[in-house]
Amino acid sequence: MNTYDIIIVGGGPGGSVAAKTAAEKGLNTIFFERGRKPGEKNSSGCGLGPRMFRDFPEMMKDLTPDKCPSMRAGTASRNYFVNKEDIVAGYIMARPTESVSYEPAKSWITMNVYRSEFDPWIAEFATNAGAELKASTLIVDLLKEDGKVSGVIDDKGEKYKAPIIIGADGVVSTVAQKSGLRSKWTQKQVTLTFQYDFQAPSEKIDDIMGDETLAVWWGSNFPASYQVFFNDGFHQGLGNWMTWWDKNPLYYLNRVINLKYYQRLLKILEAKPREVQAHLLPWLDYPYNTHTNGVILIGDAGGFPCPLEAEGIYPAMVTGKIAAEVAAEAYSNEDYSKDSLKKFDEEWKKTSIGEEFEAGSELWNIWKALPFSPKENMSWFVPMIMEILGGIFDWSQPHAKRVKQIVSHVKSYMPKATPFIMKNVFPLVAKVFEDDLDKIMDPKKIMKVLPKLLDMLPQKKKRRGDLEK
Amino acid sequence: MKIELEGLSKRIPGTGDFISLDTAKCNNCERCLVICIMNLWRKKEGKVYIVEDYQSKCLECAACFQVCDAGAISFNYPSGGTGIVIEKG
Repeated sequence: MNTYDIIIVGGGPGGSVAAKTAAEKGLNTIFFERGRKPGEKNSSGCGLGPRMFRDFPEMMKDLTPDKCPSMRAGTASRNYFVNKEDIVAGYIMARPTESVSYEPAKSWITMNVYRSEFDPWIAEFATNAGAELKASTLIVDLLKEDGKVSGVIDDKGEKYKAPIIIGADGVVSTVAQKSGLRSKWTQKQVTLTFQYDFQAPSEKIDDIMGDETLAVWWGSNFPASYQVFFNDGFHQGLGNWMTWWDKNPLYYLNRVINLKYYQRLLKILEAKPREVQAHLLPWLDYPYNTHTNGVILIGDAGGFPCPLEAEGIYPAMVTGKIAAEVAAEAYSNEDYSKDSLKKFDEEWKKTSIGEEFEAGSELWNIWKALPFSPKENMSWFVPMIMEILGGIFDWSQPHAKRVKQIVSHVKSYMPKATPFIMKNVFPLVAKVFEDDLDKIMDPKKIMKVLPKLLDMLPQKKKRRGDLEK
Repeated sequence: MKIELEGLSKRIPGTGDFISLDTAKCNNCERCLVICIMNLWRKKEGKVYIVEDYQSKCLECAACFQVCDAGAISFNYPSGGTGIVIEKG
């Protein structure tokens, strides 16, 4: 029998940070990875945000291109708006704006790294801290003694004992299932996300994309599709909730790939498909059932990806660290009860992850209603936004007439836009500003502002030509 | 442009059987047929089945397991150190 103080199932970024933290706290730690090495089974977007560097500075300063050659950092993002006819109706390139307050975030938005390099790199911090990594090992069940969780068992029948288990084993979590925390997610709590990796010469990406590091293709016929650039290639992927798909999901990604604009981009980037990847991604409005007697779930296993855009690595690392700290305290108190481990919930709620989930359901709703509802909402949103951004570029009419035409056309979208704003935007605004929703939508308040706005409009129409006479 | 999926994923053999269908529980809803991007679930003479060589094609996403509200599909990952190897994920 192999005996440890703590067992961590999963060698992704969350499991590795948990293992590192536990080992540093002096616990005899083991963590398991089903692949031959960490990262071998993982795929993601995959961009690392500045907050990872703020919260894990000692580790992240060590992330350099010699350790992770696929790394590409960039300052700008691009948003393509694709209409019902599958035409790129316009795009916006955006750099960090004046209100960005965290200094490093002014010079880059994401650092993109392949998981096959990033995950082993981060696991090394755990093994350097003294944790034992057991790769090529699939955990298939939990050991129980007197109804209490007492360890794990692998697919070869080998047993490992410890009084506390951290489940860092992803979306379909064996630890969650066997501990009774969850048999599976509901269809609305999880998305199917898949992507192509394209290879492209590094210098082509430099020349064509410059320091643009990611793009989102907002479609009217497909769910929003992300594009993330690495040193010598890029991901193009999309996802949606399990209930959404009406045909083979790849149909929608292929629709992006087959946009004329996209085909041109592939051609000039000299890009070729290199790999196809698919995974489930939990996408919750709020995590629940995160722990029980002797068990804590972190990262994807605990349902922690960001409720707006499902970033998963950072929440996994934050919850991994907290789980190991709580486990170390439980170890010194010899109390692994559910009641003692509830400290895990108390602690993550205090972090920026907790803050993110405070507006979780509002963020979740807006994402579901807009980018994940291409036919219902993006189909009017795209022409409306393009009317505003690009409407003036028409030299067939006097400009003033054009402005009138644009305003009147934008107004024609209001029957669709207004209910959307009332249902999805106002609740988010109310939540963000911690204001009462009824107060924001109070007709009296609106009426107080409205006449002032109307006053600003000219009352009489006078022709300047006439005045000059 | 049609992207050929053949050759776009690498695997280490020896996975063992890791997906199975309990035909008694299957309610023929066909969600697994829709959701599998590799088209590994099929239907013949009114019966759903997974293709014989699924072990050498499966992307291990577990979408079939997740989407099955009847609880008829069980998904256990391939044995440690086998199955898909994602190099550029």
